[in-house]
Amino acid sequence: MPVARHAERVRASPVWGTRAASGPPSPVVTEGLGRRFGPVVALHDVTLRVQQGQCLLLVGPNGSGKTTLLRVLATALRPTEGRAWVWGYEVTAEGWRVREVCAYLGTAPGVYGALSGFENLRLAADLCGKPVGRVPELLARVGLMPAAHRLVASYSLGMRRRLALARAFLQEPLVALLDEPFVGLDEEGRELVRQLVEEVKSRAGAVVLATHDGDRARGLYDRVVCLEAGSLRAAGG
Amino acid sequence: MRAARRVLALVRKDLVLEWRGRDVLVPAGAFGLAVLLVLGLVSGGGPQDAPTLLWVSVLLASVLAAGRSAEREGEEGTLEVLLLYPGSREDLFWGRHLALCVLLGALALGLWAAQLFLFNAPARGWPAVLLAGTLATVGLSASGTLLAALLGHVRAGRLLLPLLFLPTSVPVLLAGVRLTEAAAAGTTLGPWWGVLVVFDLLFLLVGPVLFEVAVEG
Repeated sequence: MPVARHAERVRASPVWGTRAASGPPSPVVTEGLGRRFGPVVALHDVTLRVQQGQCLLLVGPNGSGKTTLLRVLATALRPTEGRAWVWGYEVTAEGWRVREVCAYLGTAPGVYGALSGFENLRLAADLCGKPVGRVPELLARVGLMPAAHRLVASYSLGMRRRLALARAFLQEPLVALLDEPFVGLDEEGRELVRQLVEEVKSRAGAVVLATHDGDRARGLYDRVVCLEAGSLRAAGG
Repeated sequence: MRAARRVLALVRKDLVLEWRGRDVLVPAGAFGLAVLLVLGLVSGGGPQDAPTLLWVSVLLASVLAAGRSAEREGEEGTLEVLLLYPGSREDLFWGRHLALCVLLGALALGLWAAQLFLFNAPARGWPAVLLAGTLATVGLSASGTLLAALLGHVRAGRLLLPLLFLPTSVPVLLAGVRLTEAAAAGTTLGPWWGVLVVFDLLFLLVGPVLFEVAVEG
């Protein structure tokens, strides 16, 4: 059980400790976080906290830095300024720990077209150290069982995104970072995203969901923050 | 145990992708064969040139194979997903390296067979050539995996790979040629075995560590 495995961290981490003293612990913390791509400032001085059991909705126009923030938290990018912690682990120094508790669902499904749905998910199970026996159950859950042994190259975009969702379910994350998770999904697929968010929240984890279409996430989030040109502009409950 | 499972899964994935797509072995093999034929025509294709022809064609085909093998991962956005799985990124190096070893081994065997057939080269001392080929394959695969990852974030990295890979691999080329010549002549050349072993050890030791740094965003 991931919560139990990382319980020691809750007690040991100075980040968790300070949060615990002044309120509920925060699985996601950033302090003055920034990221540059050469001369372009993609993210600047972002300070935020996401509490346990919360879903934070990140909104903002295209190019506002939502994806960059999620990728920094997921350890796909190194921050160029400031610091960030996920589940008490510092994203730069303890990236491998962050990856143990965190699932990142990017805009690209990131699945192999020349492998079947089953093979893609079995690979994910092997890489996450999860039992391969869970693969059929998860494929059935996301509605891909009839196409499980077809090459993913023949899947539609929605089916590929469902496969990526199955991978996120398999990881049983404590922190989920979802980048435009509703794109390409039908109503049934969007319901799977909602289930993922609820599952993570029910584990006392946290979700950061980035979208430019807040209507789709209605009823899912607890707080909203708005990014504009890489900086936080507004926040609301 | 978990690392072994991860590495085996990555090797299986790369080999299944290659089996279904044949997008590394076919172009690299065809290129190696073309190099072998062109150099053979230019040099006259005498048995004395056979070791050089073989190892130059293997080396040039390896550049193409290493680049293509790394490139395939970026095409479907799967590299980032691989990097974000739990566990050490060193496992990714070992998985990619072992899969490339198998592919380069097959490539080298194919080119060797083609060289024996096309140029009527003597197959004397084949166990020594096979051992040299195995050691060379391990080293070329490790260095190719590392250099392709280092150039992954660089614009025009695909064009730069031969510029780094070829000079780096000169010790393997020289050792391969000398050992194949010695095997054909029925003699032994101890120091060149040492060159291959040191090359392998160097890249197998620094490869995983530098790979982790190279793939950081």
